[in-house]
Amino acid sequence: MIAQFPALQVVIPLLGAPLCIILRRGALPWLIALLVSWAALAMAATLLSQVADGEIISYALGGWLAPLGIEYRIDTLNAFMLLLVAGTSSAVLPFAYKSVAKEIPQDRHYLFYSGFLLMLTGLLGMAITGDAFNVFVFIEISSLSSYAMIAMGRDRRALSAAFTYLVMGTVGATFFLIGVGLIYAVTGTLNMADLAERLPPLYQSRTVLAAFAFISVGILLKLALFPLHLWLPNAYTYAPSVVTAFLAATATKVAIYLLLRFGYTVFGAEFVFNIVPASEVLLTLALAGVIIASFVAIFQSDVKRLLAYSSVAQIGYIILGISYANVTGLTASIVHIFNHAVTKGALFLVMGCVAYAAGACRLESFAGLGKRMPLTMAAFVIAGLSLIGVPLTAGFISKWYLVLGAMEKGWWPVAAVILATSLLAAVYVWRVVEIAYFRDAPADAPPLSDPPLALLVPTWVLTGACVYFGIETSLSLGFAEQAAIQLMGGG
Amino acid sequence: MEKHWLVRPKTIRLLWIVMLGVLAVTVLLQLGIEIHGEFHIDETFGFGAWYGLGTCAVMVIGAKILGAVIKRKDTYYD
Amino acid sequence: MISGLPPGLILIAGAVAIPFVGPTIRKGLVLALPVLTLALIWGTGIDAGTVWSAPFMGYAVSPVRYAPTGMLFATVFSIMAFGGALFALRSARPSEMAAAFLYAGSAIGVVFAGDLITLFVFWEIMAIGSTMVVWNGSSDAARRAGLRYALIHFFGGIVLMIGLIGHIEATGSITFDVMQADAWPRWLILAGFLINAGAWPLSSWIPDAYPEASPAGMVFLSAFTTKTAVFVLLVGFPGTQALIYVGLFMIFYGIIYALLENDMRRILAYSIVNQVGFMVVGIGIGTEMALNGAAAHAFAHIIYKGLLLMSAGSVLYMTGKRKCSDLGGLFQSMPITATCGIIGALAISAFPLTSGFISKSMINQSAADQHMMVVWLLLTAASAGVFLHAGIKFPWFVFFQKDSGLRPPDPPWNMRAAMIFFAALCLLIGVFPQPLYALLPAPVAFVPYTGAHVVGQLQLLLFSGLAFFLLLPLMKRTLTVSLDVDWLYRRAAPAVIAWIARDLRELSDGVLGGTRAQVGSIIDSMAHYHGPAGLLARTLPTGRTVFWVLVILAAFLVFNFS
Repeated sequence: MIAQFPALQVVIPLLGAPLCIILRRGALPWLIALLVSWAALAMAATLLSQVADGEIISYALGGWLAPLGIEYRIDTLNAFMLLLVAGTSSAVLPFAYKSVAKEIPQDRHYLFYSGFLLMLTGLLGMAITGDAFNVFVFIEISSLSSYAMIAMGRDRRALSAAFTYLVMGTVGATFFLIGVGLIYAVTGTLNMADLAERLPPLYQSRTVLAAFAFISVGILLKLALFPLHLWLPNAYTYAPSVVTAFLAATATKVAIYLLLRFGYTVFGAEFVFNIVPASEVLLTLALAGVIIASFVAIFQSDVKRLLAYSSVAQIGYIILGISYANVTGLTASIVHIFNHAVTKGALFLVMGCVAYAAGACRLESFAGLGKRMPLTMAAFVIAGLSLIGVPLTAGFISKWYLVLGAMEKGWWPVAAVILATSLLAAVYVWRVVEIAYFRDAPADAPPLSDPPLALLVPTWVLTGACVYFGIETSLSLGFAEQAAIQLMGGG
Repeated sequence: MEKHWLVRPKTIRLLWIVMLGVLAVTVLLQLGIEIHGEFHIDETFGFGAWYGLGTCAVMVIGAKILGAVIKRKDTYYD
Repeated sequence: MISGLPPGLILIAGAVAIPFVGPTIRKGLVLALPVLTLALIWGTGIDAGTVWSAPFMGYAVSPVRYAPTGMLFATVFSIMAFGGALFALRSARPSEMAAAFLYAGSAIGVVFAGDLITLFVFWEIMAIGSTMVVWNGSSDAARRAGLRYALIHFFGGIVLMIGLIGHIEATGSITFDVMQADAWPRWLILAGFLINAGAWPLSSWIPDAYPEASPAGMVFLSAFTTKTAVFVLLVGFPGTQALIYVGLFMIFYGIIYALLENDMRRILAYSIVNQVGFMVVGIGIGTEMALNGAAAHAFAHIIYKGLLLMSAGSVLYMTGKRKCSDLGGLFQSMPITATCGIIGALAISAFPLTSGFISKSMINQSAADQHMMVVWLLLTAASAGVFLHAGIKFPWFVFFQKDSGLRPPDPPWNMRAAMIFFAALCLLIGVFPQPLYALLPAPVAFVPYTGAHVVGQLQLLLFSGLAFFLLLPLMKRTLTVSLDVDWLYRRAAPAVIAWIARDLRELSDGVLGGTRAQVGSIIDSMAHYHGPAGLLARTLPTGRTVFWVLVILAAFLVFNFS
């Protein structure tokens, strides 16, 4: 049974989606999605424990052996991403029950949960497959379903946000496909491990160079690296609360995983950092993204949008770590993928709570919430501290390693930028806190209180995780380091 | 209402006299107690007295001069 | 098991519990927890060494290290937490009490830290706790001052963190021990420490933020941040010569600004800078006696400064007034507050038989022993200056001078009890210094009470008093504030930014023929680019993304084929 987990990891959510449509009555779709997600989490945890000692699982789908068949190949990084994706969906789905009931018409609930499971399938598939074309298939599954999910937002602007995302996402996926096509043309294989062996002799080939350019630009668009982030703010702002929390925590992160996988495993660090100037390009874009997106976040008037821009900045931090091209920087990036997912997940669930109670996440509607929704806003403050990177929160761990990696390179101005921009994060978090705690609600404001436990508990689970992973780092940091060493070819 | 005894002019005059007496005693005490300084200056007679008086005057006047430059109305930052 | 508990955790756990318990339990809790902390410091039988280590972030951190200096500071921090809690018992809101306990607990965490990472963690929590204490002043001014305070400490945290990571990266060791200020990571660590000590030029946060806290809040604030900084300097940088000059500057800065000040609690805030200056000088001198003196002075200072601020806090609490020009003559109706205030004032001035005398004279003596004549002369002048600005000025203008006509009674019993407790401590330590000397890091051979010492000090102080009354006409209270370095970020920087923004606008008006509607200030002009509809924040055009996609793709391709 356990031997079949790699396949079941993807197949179960995939089968759950139509099941939601068949059993569409009442709370059943939600229950199916929840159980599927928890099952996926259990399987991801099992897989992670199997690769914890550095072993790599290779699974031939349908019994067709690689390189002809599709291989699912799980090392520490894959398993870590599977855990992240399944863990996030397992944490937000309990939240979804009440939140979706409030935000989406009853007759479309089954579609929502079915789409959610497809999104989950796509992301899990991207994280698990060892086949380059198969990656494209899963990108499309997850993208198409997420366009639909975003369009379900209450605001009419959700439609245009989803459309913009669709256009840009399709551009990205197409570029990716062009790149994969090019390397297939020169190597005749789509299996990643196989590609890794066949590509080195072809490093000077123009086709391979072009393929790398297409693949990386396609992925950079999917992971919303500045200035290719323009689809992200509207998508996050207008999507239903649950979708935003799930996408923010996972979708861009899995795209970053793809960047790592193609950069280090398929093309190889030697090619990426010595032949192609990836380090310089990534460093420039990451720094620009961190600084500009942080400033932009400060001036937002909608808190969901503020957090969306903050995500663009945080993606910049992750890419920054990759650009160091050393183990510490890579560890920082991977651990920040995890820590930021937990933090942003918590923050967007808080937004879900506020949207549930107050109906909107505009800055002015936060006035007086510190008193009126004390538990919700306390979660915001704690997760906000993690976003800033205060000690004993998850964000601090990432910040420490990002700075440490920069120091190892001797890039102390970069270290200064990292810490100075965390001051900007403090400013945009502060803007919300100030209004919530120091400004009184207008006299004619309707009475508000904390949302029901069904929303508060998941929010606080993720908020607690922000603190837990700031103290107990052996899971997050331990696996991140192991994954980084494996990627760098040391394991 | 009668003034508190401590702030009547008569008491204040008395306090001044007592205080000047105490000052004289502390200086005169040095006749009986030998002070071993590390430097020469601190072995001069009544060092604490003249040094304290002098440096305090310098500090007060210095503050006054600096104050002329840096003092602003207390609503300055409002 | 209990013996390995980090002592600071007790108060931090209390901070978490305080908002959730009823008023009666809360009162019991805040008085019991500091006592429990003391028991954990002294009752476990451990007196030296790292108790345990734990993995954190890939390092082995040691959150509990017993050492004499740390235990001394933790002891006085616990006493302060108890006295402060007693003083705040009835007036403080739960949120303020919780913040104060978080603050005190993390300060104890710092002094027990065996490694730089633990130190930094508690350091940052301390900044958060203290900011929350300032905010609980609950006025608009407190909110703004608290924000400035938070930003300065955030900045200090950044400086410290770069230094720490640079140091750890270079040496591979996280142990917190004596360091030499010989390379930039250590210079940054030193600078980070000094920012929290209130060293110039970043000292104005003390008189800016502390007096905006509540009466009880400032009692807490006066004790922990600057003294943990003294502790880390004492352990990390003893004998660093630069500290002598930094400390001397702080001393005279504190005196001069306090002399100019009109707000009674701001006078005491400047006097914190002044007193910490004495300790920093002691650390800079770095001999065994100087370090003992710095540690002892920190101990004594926390108690008498707490007492002075309780006295000032009581006046503020009962009258609602904080300016010397509005106060005066209060001794008639607040005899206990006045008496305790005077005892605190005598102690800060180092009068014989008070705690200040037996601690400060160690620092002065060590300067003399090292034959540092200029330093000694300046320290002696400063001792006179302390009597001038805090010893007489504070009680005189608040409790005596002209009669303001105010006749408030003494404050409630808990505030009176806290003041009497601290006043008694000031006198007890002054009369029986041996128990305190026994706690100091090195054995003490120093004898404070010799005829020469006492007579010399009495001459110095009494003649300073004479100078005060003779020069009283020069010290008329005025309704003023004094400009300080904070003018740079409160006035100059905003003005410069606004000026540049206007200039840019004129420039762009000129270039664009003045056709564009322009924004009014830098905020607006930045919002113009960064705001929801700004150039850098516009989200609709898919064309723009495609443009960037092509630019980056082209960049890759051009690089590749060139």
